[in-house]
Amino acid sequence: MQEDKHKNQDSADAGDPLIRTVELTKKFGENVVLDNVSLAIGRGKCTVVIGQSGCGKTVLIKHFLGLLRPTSGQVYFKDTRIDNLSEDKLSGIRTHFGFLFQEGALFDSLTVAENILFPVRRHYKITGKSGIDELVKSKLAVVGLQGYENQFPENLSGGQKKRVALARAIALNPEVILYDEPTTGLDPVRADMINELICKLQNNLGITSIVVTHDMKSAYKIANRIVMLHNGKILADGDTAHIRSHRHPDVQHFIHGKVSRDELSVLQTDENLNNSTSAKEPELRQSNTKFRFFRHSD
Amino acid sequence: MLDTLGAKIISGIDRAGQFGRFLWASTVASLGSCVRPGCYRLIWAQMDIIGVRSVPVIMITGAFVGMTLAIQAYDQLAGMGMEERLGVLINISVVKELGPVLAAVMLAGRIGGALTAELGTMKITEQIDAITSMGTNPIQHLVAPRILACLLLTPLLIVFADLLGIMGGYFVSVIQLDINSWAYWNFSAEGVELWDISIGVVKGFFFGGAMAAISCYKGFTCKQGARGVGQACTEAFVASFITILAMNFALGVIFGSIYKIFWVPTLLV
Repeated sequence: MQEDKHKNQDSADAGDPLIRTVELTKKFGENVVLDNVSLAIGRGKCTVVIGQSGCGKTVLIKHFLGLLRPTSGQVYFKDTRIDNLSEDKLSGIRTHFGFLFQEGALFDSLTVAENILFPVRRHYKITGKSGIDELVKSKLAVVGLQGYENQFPENLSGGQKKRVALARAIALNPEVILYDEPTTGLDPVRADMINELICKLQNNLGITSIVVTHDMKSAYKIANRIVMLHNGKILADGDTAHIRSHRHPDVQHFIHGKVSRDELSVLQTDENLNNSTSAKEPELRQSNTKFRFFRHSD
Repeated sequence: MLDTLGAKIISGIDRAGQFGRFLWASTVASLGSCVRPGCYRLIWAQMDIIGVRSVPVIMITGAFVGMTLAIQAYDQLAGMGMEERLGVLINISVVKELGPVLAAVMLAGRIGGALTAELGTMKITEQIDAITSMGTNPIQHLVAPRILACLLLTPLLIVFADLLGIMGGYFVSVIQLDINSWAYWNFSAEGVELWDISIGVVKGFFFGGAMAAISCYKGFTCKQGARGVGQACTEAFVASFITILAMNFALGVIFGSIYKIFWVPTLLV
């Protein structure tokens, strides 16, 4: 696969990178999910990782905070190599990160307030109920969910769950937030609200954002830089204009949401499809196939 | 054929290694939790779920074990004119073998299945990853409290099962089968030693620890989807059940040897 040789200045200039992967390879059994991926993520920017389902986007960002260990290659956070650190040492590094999981991953046995306080209680000793209440209120205010402190996740809508999960992700005032498909499963209005939140957190608090998404509308809105993964490699890397004008057909197919002829060939041909839908029941009964179909009443 | 066999052996060794590492991490985390007052709240919560709420079902199990033993053994002993010794037969069976084993099996079904389902669901909904991502060790937070609660409370629950087993056996023997109450207790006191009661309770530590470790491991390694959770629960129960029976046999041999070496000479002196 030809990698992107014409990276836009914005992407190549990761300057003082906050996160860096060097020849990162991840295999699950014989399946190579990431293949020698080298990537540097700059501070304070929003980097969006796009690519088809199963191309390794989530696997890539899980390496950034040590949720997965590479098969080979290195991962650095602020010049500290983290892929070979023990779990104890990684715990400290992880407090610099917030992670918004695809389905929110809220703890369903805890209230909204307890979910938000979970990471805080694990790393800080809080004294005084007023301080706790204030902290929860301030985080909920950021995501626009004041008054939901005592609700349980089961009582929230999909969009509300994601906003609570975002409030929990920012509870420790992280330097980096990793978003795993933040707008998937949301209606366009709620999806746009999440996009606005991502922009707000990046612009107002200077948080570095790394977003994994399929949603190109969202990607164009929030991205300073877009990285496209394809078959475990970086296929395209640049700002939105660079990606829009990228010549590689796979990039064009993806950003326009059009399936390629090769991928279409796995579907039935028109002729087969017509035959299969026009076949009458008696023909099925008389057909010389291994399987026969009968009505339940027969 | 040989390839398949080899692959299965390697896969089995791999799984055993994974379980060994999980067990080691859980042991370290559990020991750590014992000395961290901050963890006591989590342990207490699990003790309520695992212990307190299991008392009724364990008591019912114990009572039926005692009553069934009385019914089954009466005819055998009556045939030999030894029906007054029914108490010793029931009570030694209950406190030494059937009480601990059946209570542990009941707990493996009630608690083990729930632990696997809960942790398995947390795994597939990325809640365990979420805990890790927030800089918390999920084994410390989720597994250690559950193992400690099972370790501490299984012996206590076995005491409850024993008590109800004895009462159930007494009820059927004395009230229904009309055996003399004084003879029932007198023969029981002669035949059942403190040693017998103690090993039944000590077995509870091993059964509780094994059941909790297996159930938590199966939850942590659960595959995706509803089918994955269901399969993990089934595997957890089957593995716990077999482990309890195997442990019961091994502990029987070990305690038997200890008894012969240390206990009998003391009695003779």
